Amino acid sequence: MEMTQKNDLADDRLLRRMLAGDEDAFTDLYRRKHPAIYRFALHMSGNPALAEDVTQEVFMALVREPGRFDPTRGSLGAFLFGIARNHLKKRWEQERRLVPIASDSDESDDFAAFAASGNGNASIPASSFDDLDSLDTIGRVRRAISTLPENYREVVVLCELEEMSYEEAAAALSCPVGTVRSRLHRARTILLEKLREAHTARRASALGK
Amino acid sequence: MDCSQFEELFHDLDRPGTDGYAARESVLAHAEACSRCGQLLTHAESLDLALSALSARENGERAPAHLETLLREEFRHGRAAASHRRVRWQIAALATAAAMLVVLGLSLHHRNRANAGSGGGSHSSPAVASDNRVNAMDVNSSADDSVGSELAAAESQAGDSESATAFVPLPYADDSASADGGTIVRVELSRPQLASLGLPVTDMADTDRIAADIVLSEDGAPQAIRLISRSSLD
Repeated sequence: MEMTQKNDLADDRLLRRMLAGDEDAFTDLYRRKHPAIYRFALHMSGNPALAEDVTQEVFMALVREPGRFDPTRGSLGAFLFGIARNHLKKRWEQERRLVPIASDSDESDDFAAFAASGNGNASIPASSFDDLDSLDTIGRVRRAISTLPENYREVVVLCELEEMSYEEAAAALSCPVGTVRSRLHRARTILLEKLREAHTARRASALGK
Repeated sequence: MDCSQFEELFHDLDRPGTDGYAARESVLAHAEACSRCGQLLTHAESLDLALSALSARENGERAPAHLETLLREEFRHGRAAASHRRVRWQIAALATAAAMLVVLGLSLHHRNRANAGSGGGSHSSPAVASDNRVNAMDVNSSADDSVGSELAAAESQAGDSESATAFVPLPYADDSASADGGTIVRVELSRPQLASLGLPVTDMADTDRIAADIVLSEDGAPQAIRLISRSSLD
């Protein structure tokens, strides 16, 4: 939390200098903030070109309308993530060729269907995913994340891959901390199930050979 | 701790500040006692490991370098545009201020003219002019021209605190042309005296006196008169 406050102060100083026309401050701010935004867009879309476009739009918005950021409503990082999410949603609405987006109303249905299919965790077999840190498994985890409903995917990206706290993710997603927590738990449960299925299929395939 | 409580907490064992982190010891103890929950915990730890590996692997992902160049150009462009906007605003503000000053000046000027005109009304005709300068041309022209046109064009000034009508030919003057080369005499006249000159005045007492300039011909006969008001600007 202390680190977060220090980061916010540094961001605030850079932003003030940027508003005064300091190009170096803008560059520093971009270098500090853009990797997380780019990775978020990349994980959410699975498309490097789209992630680049979204990152560009986010910082264009900061350059053109810096007054839109209100520090009393959250951190600069949360503000930038908010812009990124909006652009992603717009692009998804424009281009239906990406991963389907689940609306808020789909969230409970998805989870209910998943739970009914085998009561979630209870269906996981005894064998452990002992190869989960292999390159192959990392690829499977990435694919599993990309098939999560949008609301679950973004909390996994922020809390697991970007290692944000619940509070930071809640600020970035403009939702309560409790919502972040429950979505993350459901997302992790779905991921466990997906990986179990993949693991079972792989074992069956190996035994067949 | 029972299994449902375990399922509520086991995702947060490594997340400081959460209930799961606070109850870590109890959760681990339950996982050891319950084989089903123990397996869940093992899978969750494996998932954490995979997610950490994915995070570490992709932590170095950056947007292409050309994007930074593009955004810096945009920043410079925006800064220049903002600077131009600021200059335009300053020019517009200055122009507005200048226009307001001009309007204010004109309005004050007209107001002063109006005040000067209305101030002389008590002792002179309604056509009293605010420009009070007196010169020989006025005398000549007022003597030569008709009374109506002269009153309308009356522009003479006897001093900073005086206003005056234009010269009006006296009804009993012999010949207006004889005023040429005449002299102007400042006098103070009572109502009867004005009446004797052919200017009956009704709104003043017999004892009141009013200043006037009289144009005398070479033979000393009054030819034209103008009334002077001293009170308006005092």
